Amino acid sequence: MFEFGTFIVSIVTFLILFWIIKTYGFAPLARMLEQRRQLIEGQITEAEQNRLQAEKYLNEQHILLDEARKQAKEIVDAARARADEQAREIVVAAEEEASRHLESNRQLIERERAEAMNQVMSSVSSLTVDLSEKLLHRHADETAHNEMVQEAEKMLGDLAC
Amino acid sequence: MPAFPYLFYNTFFPINIITIAMMILTGIVVLVVLRLAQRNLDVRKPRGLQNLIEWAIDFTANMARDTMPSERMVQWILPFAFTMVIFLFVANWLGIIATISIQLNHPIPWLGLTAQRLALAHGEIPLFDSPTSNMSMTLGMAVMVWILSHAQGLRHPRKYFRYYRNPMAIIEEITNPLTHGMRLYGNIFAGEALIGVILSIPLVFGWLPVSIPLLLIWLLYSGFVSTIQAYVFTILMTLYVGHKSYGDQVDHV
Repeated sequence: MFEFGTFIVSIVTFLILFWIIKTYGFAPLARMLEQRRQLIEGQITEAEQNRLQAEKYLNEQHILLDEARKQAKEIVDAARARADEQAREIVVAAEEEASRHLESNRQLIERERAEAMNQVMSSVSSLTVDLSEKLLHRHADETAHNEMVQEAEKMLGDLAC
Repeated sequence: MPAFPYLFYNTFFPINIITIAMMILTGIVVLVVLRLAQRNLDVRKPRGLQNLIEWAIDFTANMARDTMPSERMVQWILPFAFTMVIFLFVANWLGIIATISIQLNHPIPWLGLTAQRLALAHGEIPLFDSPTSNMSMTLGMAVMVWILSHAQGLRHPRKYFRYYRNPMAIIEEITNPLTHGMRLYGNIFAGEALIGVILSIPLVFGWLPVSIPLLLIWLLYSGFVSTIQAYVFTILMTLYVGHKSYGDQVDHV
């Protein structure tokens, strides 16, 4: 019943068939499966990396946003401080200007008043002398006239002051 | 008992031509199916036959994962296990799908078909039969696996020989390939023999074919057994080889 020839030849035949099936039947499928495995593995790794990258970007954005906010606040603060400073300077300058104007005006007034007073006094003294001459009906000579004018001026000055 | 044609019938080296021819036919069928599955090979969207074959590869790989110590060994055995499971599946089913015999009345001595054997077989010569319904062929497969497992074991001789301090282990080494081969042969041969017997039941009353329902039931059962035996043979193969793979052993008992 046991056939040695069939035994040996079937082993040999099977090994040959195995080699052929493996080379032409199995290998391309196995290669394809390997490709798919690598593809999936690659895609998973890529997705993982993308996720990490996205997280990193998000953190960076957060940091940048915070920085920008801080900078904006600083700029606004600085601008406000500068504006305050400028306002104060302007006020001070204006005050100085005003006091200077006041001073010069006061001096001008003083001077004009003095001038006016002098003019008034000289005209009043000469008028007084003229009036006194008329009243006295006599002509005072030049020296007496001058004396009298000086006296009148002196008295007027005393009066005015 | 049908008379198979043999080469070298009267020597110590008789070769059953039908068995070998059926093995080659099985190989061609397997190869054609695999080549058909590779038409329009698509990495992203497998469809049709490609899907089925991918499932078969996955199934074989999972089977090997259950019995082999490491993933490296699984990948190493996978082509062999896959070829074995699909080859045995087709081989077992060939005998169920069809059994063709011819009637031969004059002996052909150089094919071993002597007048005496022809008379015993009533001149019946099978031409189409499962290769696995031949004891020598299944034992050949089993011994091949046995040699493979021992070659694998001898790569780590210390662990390999330590295992044989127990004499029962030596008995196991004899019974393992014997039962491994005989189980496959017995199941397939019994299935086909019974199909033959059922087919030869005569019509009751000359017209009632009582054999038809019996035949249908038995064909279904034989198909089941054929599939299961292909699976069992392959899982035992991975088990035997895995048991002797001492390399990167993560032993799961």
